[in-house]
Amino acid sequence: MATTTTEPRVWWDTLHKNGRFDLKFFLRTKLEKESNMPSLLDRYNDAADEMRRLIKEADDNDEGFRSIGSKWSMSSIAHHPDRMHFTSNMNIGFGIPGNGVHANSTYKSENLFFFQCGNEIKEISHFLESKGKSLKASGASNGQTIAGCISTGVHGSGLDIGSVQDYVVGLNLIIGPNPEDVVYLERHTKPALNEKLPQRIKARIIRNDDLFNAALVGLGSFGFIHGVLIEAEDRFLLKRYVRKIKKQKAIQISNTMDFQPLANEITEEVDAQGNANRPYHYKVFINQYSNDDDYVIESIYKKPFDPNYKQIHGDPIPFMKQFIYRDLIYLLIKISEKFQKAIPLFIQALSGTILPKEKDENGQEKNIVGQLSEIFWDAGYQGKAFACSFGVDHKNSGKALEVLTKLTKDDGPIPGIFAMRFVKQSDATLAFTKFPVTCMIEIDGIQWNHKEDGIISLHEYGKRMIEVLKANNLPFTIHWGKNAAWDFPGLAQDMFGGDVQKWMDIRSALLSPRMAKLFSNPFLDTLGLSQLSSPVDPGLIVSL
Amino acid sequence: MKTKSLFAIVMVLLMLSSCYSVRVKVTNGPGGEPAETETEEVTAGELIRTLDTVAKVGIATKENPINLPDCESGGLHAVEYRTTFGGILKYLITFGRKRTVKVKYVCNKKTNTGVIDLD
Ligand SMILES: Cc1cc2nc3c(=O)[nH]c(=O)nc-3n(C[C@H](O)[C@H](O)[C@H](O)COP(=O)(O)OP(=O)(O)OC[C@H]3O[C@@H](n4cnc5c(N)ncnc54)[C@H](O)[C@@H]3O)c2cc1C
Repeated sequence: MATTTTEPRVWWDTLHKNGRFDLKFFLRTKLEKESNMPSLLDRYNDAADEMRRLIKEADDNDEGFRSIGSKWSMSSIAHHPDRMHFTSNMNIGFGIPGNGVHANSTYKSENLFFFQCGNEIKEISHFLESKGKSLKASGASNGQTIAGCISTGVHGSGLDIGSVQDYVVGLNLIIGPNPEDVVYLERHTKPALNEKLPQRIKARIIRNDDLFNAALVGLGSFGFIHGVLIEAEDRFLLKRYVRKIKKQKAIQISNTMDFQPLANEITEEVDAQGNANRPYHYKVFINQYSNDDDYVIESIYKKPFDPNYKQIHGDPIPFMKQFIYRDLIYLLIKISEKFQKAIPLFIQALSGTILPKEKDENGQEKNIVGQLSEIFWDAGYQGKAFACSFGVDHKNSGKALEVLTKLTKDDGPIPGIFAMRFVKQSDATLAFTKFPVTCMIEIDGIQWNHKEDGIISLHEYGKRMIEVLKANNLPFTIHWGKNAAWDFPGLAQDMFGGDVQKWMDIRSALLSPRMAKLFSNPFLDTLGLSQLSSPVDPGLIVSL
Repeated sequence: MKTKSLFAIVMVLLMLSSCYSVRVKVTNGPGGEPAETETEEVTAGELIRTLDTVAKVGIATKENPINLPDCESGGLHAVEYRTTFGGILKYLITFGRKRTVKVKYVCNKKTNTGVIDLD
């Protein structure tokens, strides 16, 4: 039997200490030992029974229940004051045999893999690589769980790939305490599995595009995500270049997504006709406190897999550690360690160019080649950090960057620096990557004490950011897992318009009123997303 | 007296400078065993186990290692070895017969992957 320990607690916090938050009970579930229950599917079903029991227990006590992943989110999205549940040890994973694939499926069985919620990106990559496969994309790092990723909509800079949820093609949810509350969702227009696996995991199949898209970025509130079906692809290599280019050029590329200006910056990535190759990933690093004429950009290109890549190009991991513009957050922490709590000194340090040079000891540009899991590797930092991240249409990226950096200097100075990444549109109803190509403008930094440091509070800063975007008529979204003034009036509607009601209607149709309450949390309440629609339209959740 | 205290200072400096810690980490494994803790250490999110013992000379040898029985996955993800001032002192006082061993380690996350049969 899968076992759960229940620990009474009075508080809980995120990895980066963005709380503290009140808590009654912290639960941890471990799977039955393989030696006692060798079949993966038996262990999976056994865990499902345990989850139904935990949901019932919370319901019997009239309490809420929220599963969490690696607690990497910095907003309070993962928090529930009643019962929080740690899932990282729930990590079953397997490929889908050919006879499990739907007759009308466009997916190849060899690319379909099923992962239980607590699988972290790192271990998924490890498993897929052993099969000659790879994830299509990830965030900048690899410690989040797969369920945690899709619940907020984790992105990298996949221009033509999208975010993590965009390669999820099936969802196994547990939406209540009863056997019939185990459901398997997928799109009716893109079925992936026939009835065999859903039958084995005792799940009711519902094929419905709108339902699937609503549940996909479910904010932890669409029931317990027990497992996800993903589409992987053949392993590939990524070649990463970091260059300093004129600010104007970097912004022009961001606004247009025309990469031709890179042709004479990265001469290796030009075809025979002189056209610049389209990168897999494009990122701009912005130190708003520097008067330098250049921005640092990171441009990454997809290459066919070559088993000898390490012999030819060297082991990417030591190179990534040596040359990387480490996730900015890490860099900032390094600096803050030197300057202790003296934010003004820290800001002064930011005024110069603080990003390390992307060159080796001989002054040569060092390009790095590795697999996805190696280029987007472990995050090397822990500690008190904040991150705010706004999604805008890439066409507005230059303008949005201008107003946000101006605010950051004028109303701050805020101890963080900006970056922009670009992501393909998602089909998920509440994905913050909702524009045809979304530019995610992010500021990462260290937390400050607004009273001691004489800077506006993080909450006030978050509010001012929303205000300046609205004042400049720049439609925006916010990363669900990052810091923001989540109580800004009408925020959800501002970001998603009519899709908010659609999401709430579908959620109200799928979950019973008691379960809708159990699976919501104060974060959802603040945003007005926990409201129940009445009357409920059962037609919204029929299998099509 | 002067030479004695000078000697003592040199010894202390030598011992202090010989305190060090080394962290070794596997780069291509499934990752560390996860833990939900409220620590702010670099290892936050990983389950840290500690081996803290005094090894008599001849016990912790190649043929007779100190066993680590508690990794369910059967593998190690990271190891941190630290020498401390006290440890070095003990080593010196016992003329090398006893050694303080303090090793922190993170097991591999236990994977649960494989194949299924749908027939
Ligand atoms: C170092 C660092 C780097 C980051 N880099 C990026 C990046 O590059 N791109 C990006 O987009 N974000 C990034 N983030 C943000 C982070 O990836 C997201 O917030 C992500 O959602 C966290 O995943 P998690 O597994 O930690 O989930 P948590 O933060 O623990 O939870 C997130 C949500 O998922 C829900 N959830 C988790 N498991 C389940 C389940 N089984 N069933 C139902 N709901 C569940 C929780 O309730 C919560 O609502 C970064 C964060 C950090 C700390």
